[in-house]
Amino acid sequence: MKKISIEHLARLEGNGGVTATIDGKVVTEVKFVVNEGPRLVERLTLGKTPEEDVNIVPRICAICTLSHKYAALRAMEKALDVKVPPKVTLLRELMHLGEMVESHSLHLYFLALPDYVGFPNAVAMASKFGFEVKIALEMKHFGNHIMKTMSGRFIHGENPVIGGFGKFPSREELILIKNRAIQFMPFALKTAKLFAELDYPDCPEAETQYACCKPSGNKFGFVGDEIIISNGDVIDSQDYKSLTNEFIVSHSYCKRSLYKEKPYSVGALARVNNLGERLTGETGKMYKKYFSPRWKKNPLFNNAAQALELLYSFERIPGVVDEALKLPDASIVPYIKKDGKGAGAVEAPRGTLFHYYEISKGRVASADIVTPTAQNAEDIERYCYLTAQKLLETGQEDKIRDRMDLVVRSFDPCISCSVHMAQVKKAPEEDWKEKLADLKKKQMPIFVGLGISNRSDDSACLELASKLRQQGVPDVLMESEIEENDTLHEKSPERSLIFLDAIDFGGNPGRIALIPLQHLIWDSVLSHRLLPLVSSQLDYAQLKNSFVLGIQPETIQEGGEISRPVREAMEKILEEIKI
Amino acid sequence: MQQDKLKIGIYELTGCAGDALLILDCEDELVNIFKAANIQSFLMAKSDNIDGELDVALVEGSVSTEKELGELLEIRKRSKFVVAIGICATLGGVQANFLDPREWKENYQKVYGQVEMTNTKALQPKPIDAYVKVDYYLPGCPIGKEQFLSTFARLLAGNPPELYNFPVCVECKWHENDCLLNKDILCLGPLTAAGCGSVCTDHNLPCVGCWGPTGEANRTSEFNLLLEKGFALDLIKNKMANFSGTKIAEFFAQLKGEKR
Repeated sequence: MKKISIEHLARLEGNGGVTATIDGKVVTEVKFVVNEGPRLVERLTLGKTPEEDVNIVPRICAICTLSHKYAALRAMEKALDVKVPPKVTLLRELMHLGEMVESHSLHLYFLALPDYVGFPNAVAMASKFGFEVKIALEMKHFGNHIMKTMSGRFIHGENPVIGGFGKFPSREELILIKNRAIQFMPFALKTAKLFAELDYPDCPEAETQYACCKPSGNKFGFVGDEIIISNGDVIDSQDYKSLTNEFIVSHSYCKRSLYKEKPYSVGALARVNNLGERLTGETGKMYKKYFSPRWKKNPLFNNAAQALELLYSFERIPGVVDEALKLPDASIVPYIKKDGKGAGAVEAPRGTLFHYYEISKGRVASADIVTPTAQNAEDIERYCYLTAQKLLETGQEDKIRDRMDLVVRSFDPCISCSVHMAQVKKAPEEDWKEKLADLKKKQMPIFVGLGISNRSDDSACLELASKLRQQGVPDVLMESEIEENDTLHEKSPERSLIFLDAIDFGGNPGRIALIPLQHLIWDSVLSHRLLPLVSSQLDYAQLKNSFVLGIQPETIQEGGEISRPVREAMEKILEEIKI
Repeated sequence: MQQDKLKIGIYELTGCAGDALLILDCEDELVNIFKAANIQSFLMAKSDNIDGELDVALVEGSVSTEKELGELLEIRKRSKFVVAIGICATLGGVQANFLDPREWKENYQKVYGQVEMTNTKALQPKPIDAYVKVDYYLPGCPIGKEQFLSTFARLLAGNPPELYNFPVCVECKWHENDCLLNKDILCLGPLTAAGCGSVCTDHNLPCVGCWGPTGEANRTSEFNLLLEKGFALDLIKNKMANFSGTKIAEFFAQLKGEKR
């Protein structure tokens, strides 16, 4: 049994991992796990004052601290009906751009680039890219400087408050920020070109949905009262739950999201894919030069999108400063703590972030926070699966671990919101037994026998199903008995659905594997008659609870007998399922 | 040479990773930190981490899962000194806001329902000294750069850290700010340990208490002062509890002659 594992991938924060389990030619399981302990932030803000809430919630994440602050402020101001003066809006944009510069320059040069130029880390990379590493560090430092100037500290600054700022930056401080931003432009242009021209592998490539904030006035930007999705849908940010639909999976403390029952991605690539046509100036030119349809289906292009956004940020900062300098400082807008509710959406560097609060009697009565990594988790798992499966089929098993790492890292996950540790492991010989026992523990699954009678091993699972019936197992169905409009999960979606089928997954004849159905559906190579049968009838939650219990056939010749190894496998399965 | 340097490990439990990030943000000094000590493990900064014997372990975050508890016990075993860094490790932090275990459990179930987690079991978040002996504490949310660098330098020289044993008010006076209490704004400065450089009051905003309670002797009278100003007892207590986690009950118990 071979197990490929990777050292703790350092240079990121938090605690998590991705594991792919492979059996012969198929990937039987991919899990994106977040081991960070649960903090129940939404619960512990209940009963706090709105001001205290705004102090507490940025502590969710040190890297996205100001995005959390900003989203919380927007939600609270919506709930309390506070309108801030234009200067406050502009300076909040500046502080947010500071975070974008800090996070993107750190991610691009210190986390992502070493992988593409063949170095283990940024320090080693400095031997060849000394200049880039040095300037990138200055760029990150500049982002930190903006954050500190605007918020009071590098991390968790309290200066932005409901209704404005405790203290406004001086004219000199703002002009310094503007001038330094202009000085960084040549390097920002170089960065956009460097990352647009990297040789991104074409695995994984698959369509997905993208979502991001839709800024007003046909501009590019990082906040909006509406959310735009790549299929053209536009949602009011107050109605964000129709996008996020959070649910829980048992292998991770990070919640999950699906839009219209399908995974979606948020982040720099989502923003550039949805709003790229709005980019102007040097960033607009770069976008027109480098954007291609591949960006719409390959998560690795997120790095190119981040570099474009970095350029956008440097190009935008001088304008923000100029506009802000024309306006007078404003004292904090007074407000009464009336009852109300409101959602606030902003684009954190790694994707759309939602905060929602209900205020009652001056206290937080309800809170909901949806982070970008929670929304990306399903797509991270899906793209890792596609990567592992594709590389496995093309005989590049040795590349799986590194490539999955690249995929996960391209999402720039943040696991207070993510160190990840990519791992590839071989399925143990009989691990289907354990998994099946787990599924049975909840409730006896529904079984569906698939196959073609009178066609040697392909008929095995039809015979298996009828034997299960004879043994008194309830709800065993045959392929021929399923009508087009049957709802297989009708009663409880918690009850799993298991298809019994002879499938070629590269094992020795008689080998048994329990494979999640969604993996087979996502992948064209393994799709067969199952696909049309089930995809129209199962919603995503049910799909996630559906499996194929496959037996590797020896032969599927017309008219033959069921082979001996397959017969033995059938006996094993009967033994495990019996009541 | 390498053998003579102190062996140091920096570890992260549950939290926002802000303390480790702040160490990374000491960009100008970082090279010297890495040169002056033998940094054996620092997951956020480097990949060639070794889990061996240590002179000093700096631990951030609260213990919030069984897996983390195991890691912490193992770190303690192989370290001569353990330093809790940041409010989560020293006092439990914002996530340790539910004091009663039953209250925490109820709230946990409201978020995660009855889903049985297969990765690791969650524990009620607690500061690290709930489980292991802690030699030194470095508070803050996040820790302050100056205080971290001075502590680090003292540890390297074999000296214990020296923190301010007075409240934020002292730093605020150094900066010649107007007292917010005079404007009837509830500021936790009098009750909160100094070390942040009075950053909030420097921005005309009240102290939120993110450094935790001060160890200063006069804290009972400081507390009474706030009550005399007319701030409600619950309001002060709740505000103080925001960052100070499960330890806040001890603080209140130690206040003597508090008016109700």
